[in-house]
Amino acid sequence: MKPLIELKNVQYGYPGRGGGSSRVALQDVDLQIGEGEWVAVVGANGSGKTTFARLCCGLLLPDAGQVWVAGMNRAETRHRAEIHSRVGMVFQSPEDQLVATTVAEDVAFGLENLQLTPREIGRRVEETLRAVGLWELRDRPPHLLSAGQVQRLALAGVLALRPQAVIFDEATAMLDPQGRHMVQKWMRRLHDRGVTVIAVTHFMDEAALAQRVIVLRGGQIVADGSPAQIFADSQALESWGLELPPAAALAERLRPWLTGLPQHLYTEEALLASLPSFSGHGFREQRSLAQVEASSAGGAAFVARGLQHEYLSGTPFASMALRNANVEVALGEVHGLAGATGSGKSTLLQHLNGLLKPQAGQVLVLGEALHEPGVDWVALRRRVGLVFQNPEVQFFEPYVGDEVAFGPRLAGVSDLRERVRWAMEVVGLDFETFKDRWLMSLSGGEKRRVALASALALQPQALLLDEPTAGLDPHMRRSVLRLLRSLGQEGKTLLLSSHRMEDLAWLCGRLTVFAGGQDVLRGAAGEVFEQVTALRTWGLEPPLAARVAKTLIERGWPLPVGLARPSALAQALHEVLQ
Amino acid sequence: MSDFEFLRHVTIGQFAAQDSPLRRRDSRARLVALICLLVGVTFATHPAGLLLGLLLTLLGLWLGRVPFGFALRGLLPPLPFLLFLAFLQVWINPLPDSNILWQAGPLLLSGADLWAGLGLLVRFSALLLLLTLGTFSMSTMEMTRSLGRLLLPLGRLGLPTQDVTMAMQITLRFLPLLAQTAERIAKAQAARGLDWERGQRNLFERVRQVLPMLTPLFVNSLRRAEQMALAMDSRAYAARPGRSSWVEYHFNGWDAALVLFAFVGATAMIWL
Repeated sequence: MKPLIELKNVQYGYPGRGGGSSRVALQDVDLQIGEGEWVAVVGANGSGKTTFARLCCGLLLPDAGQVWVAGMNRAETRHRAEIHSRVGMVFQSPEDQLVATTVAEDVAFGLENLQLTPREIGRRVEETLRAVGLWELRDRPPHLLSAGQVQRLALAGVLALRPQAVIFDEATAMLDPQGRHMVQKWMRRLHDRGVTVIAVTHFMDEAALAQRVIVLRGGQIVADGSPAQIFADSQALESWGLELPPAAALAERLRPWLTGLPQHLYTEEALLASLPSFSGHGFREQRSLAQVEASSAGGAAFVARGLQHEYLSGTPFASMALRNANVEVALGEVHGLAGATGSGKSTLLQHLNGLLKPQAGQVLVLGEALHEPGVDWVALRRRVGLVFQNPEVQFFEPYVGDEVAFGPRLAGVSDLRERVRWAMEVVGLDFETFKDRWLMSLSGGEKRRVALASALALQPQALLLDEPTAGLDPHMRRSVLRLLRSLGQEGKTLLLSSHRMEDLAWLCGRLTVFAGGQDVLRGAAGEVFEQVTALRTWGLEPPLAARVAKTLIERGWPLPVGLARPSALAQALHEVLQ
Repeated sequence: MSDFEFLRHVTIGQFAAQDSPLRRRDSRARLVALICLLVGVTFATHPAGLLLGLLLTLLGLWLGRVPFGFALRGLLPPLPFLLFLAFLQVWINPLPDSNILWQAGPLLLSGADLWAGLGLLVRFSALLLLLTLGTFSMSTMEMTRSLGRLLLPLGRLGLPTQDVTMAMQITLRFLPLLAQTAERIAKAQAARGLDWERGQRNLFERVRQVLPMLTPLFVNSLRRAEQMALAMDSRAYAARPGRSSWVEYHFNGWDAALVLFAFVGATAMIWL
């Protein structure tokens, strides 16, 4: 295979503060990526993945060593345009990579930089926009597109340059299952056309799709091989801050009972296809799990009935976010909200602590009717904490301690220091170590903990969480999930939205599914995830365990319906085979 | 209406892509003609010149097929302000004129004062109508592109015209992003018990609340700007000297006529 991208003994460091010593982000990196290869780059937060991606596409110049792209040395300025046109890059936050004020003009941007003729630009703009399905919206300004459309536009801007390689820098981290699926489909399509695909990702199932996986740790390549080689050693994975792909992890878990399962099942398709048929003599009647009922003993924490909300109402850009939203969460319950991007989850959450006020419909929060006049909004917001999606971009204090103290200070808490110490320790941040740390210098997982601590510092009765694990690496994701679970076990009411159905299945007893601004399904997690076909039409994918359970039932296994967690599935298999 | 919809107040670029005799002209010609009229109306001294300016503006609105109702409604919000200015013009700055209409102590009203106040009203109304016409008949993209084209000759003098144009385009792109970021920060602060509603009622409180928002707003905007710069870089911006243009410009006789007409009109306004 002809090498397309070559890194020779590359080292790169970010300048330290005050021009002092630099922090080495990448060192001794020596590798080749061939034409048409599909490579996944994985590693914990801060392992140097983004730096690696930026070196590969020529955005950064190495401090030492060389980067060659298609036989051109990046260090020579005359090759710059050529290298950028051959290696495109899709960034994590798609809206920040759009430069023009209309869709079509944005696609034209790169083509104009390459000084193509007007006729050629026009041809490519149309061709690319048709391919990603945005041709009808070509005159729209980008800030009025939906999240999925913005993602496709960002991709179109790169594809129009007809690159030989496309680098996806955590491009799927913030997307809903459908959005991720769309990007993965494009990766496959590009690969089929012979384009080199480099996917930097936290999703191990996405890495498993690639032909080759490169593992980074502390700025060095610690492993480089096929998915089968990389995922063979689960202890090594753990030490790299990674985990098995969900399919492989589940296969390992079920192997004691499904003894015929082959090794190396890394993709969901492979696992589902190799599930055995039932051959035992178990009782064939289908049982149903005891239903998880909302414990209404303590009363309701959140109730919304017929809630409507329109953004920018009365302007030409009005858009309906909630049409008829109903939700009911009991006190002390851990409740999940599932739904594609734009289904209204975030808008609903912002109603439940009074940031948005009901335009129509009823909202009851901790016994208070928000649709009636005379609500003390500030007091309400102190009783119901809200952790936003990407809370890191909303910090407004420079230091950790001040950020956590913001809420309690305004509330006039007497022993502020103790309160901050308590909140930080709940989320596992040592008070003395972290209180004077710069927020900007924290890792992604630490920032997420600070955001949680800031909300907890007001000691709210209930907590609303919008995508609490989005963008975190596997390790940090698990630790945040455990933290949320322990909060739930202590009796705090939690209402959380997530694109990760596995997380919802693991944390929540009951779920409400949203689509198109209304609730379309609610019930115990297991029952909700039974509805595979319906969920797919709403842009969701049930967790893998639920799909495996369903397939096993189809293949004759006398399993109860409503299994959505790996542990429950394993337990049920155990009982069947006893 | 929500307390946090900052995007609502960003109205620049509310442009309607509608066919009209004016929109069929080369966008550079439209831009130059608009600038001519703006200059003309601003510097016209004689009432006849102002009247001519107003007439040409109305003609422009008609050629641009801007609904008159829509254009006039745009005058309503600044109207109290304009009336106040006219009032000041009439009373504060008495002009030497023998034709005194009314006098009470030090206050006096002359014919010249009245004319000046009326002139101010007409001048500002015409300017506002011209701006409405401009934004209604020209997309932000057309504007930046034609400006870039018109500035091109200055590039030969070594001025970074391409970067100036790009900066303008990015600014326009950034306005809604800025509103979005501000919205998020305000919400994050309110979610932790900052009394945002009180600020809505009292101007002083409001200013006090906006101040702590500024730092995170700038930090966030800088981060987004950096991200955008990287994205531009990776799409080969400035990797080669100069860029090509998707839009081809054809300057024909009608375009020349438009520019000439506007130029003659503006000259007439000023010299009358």
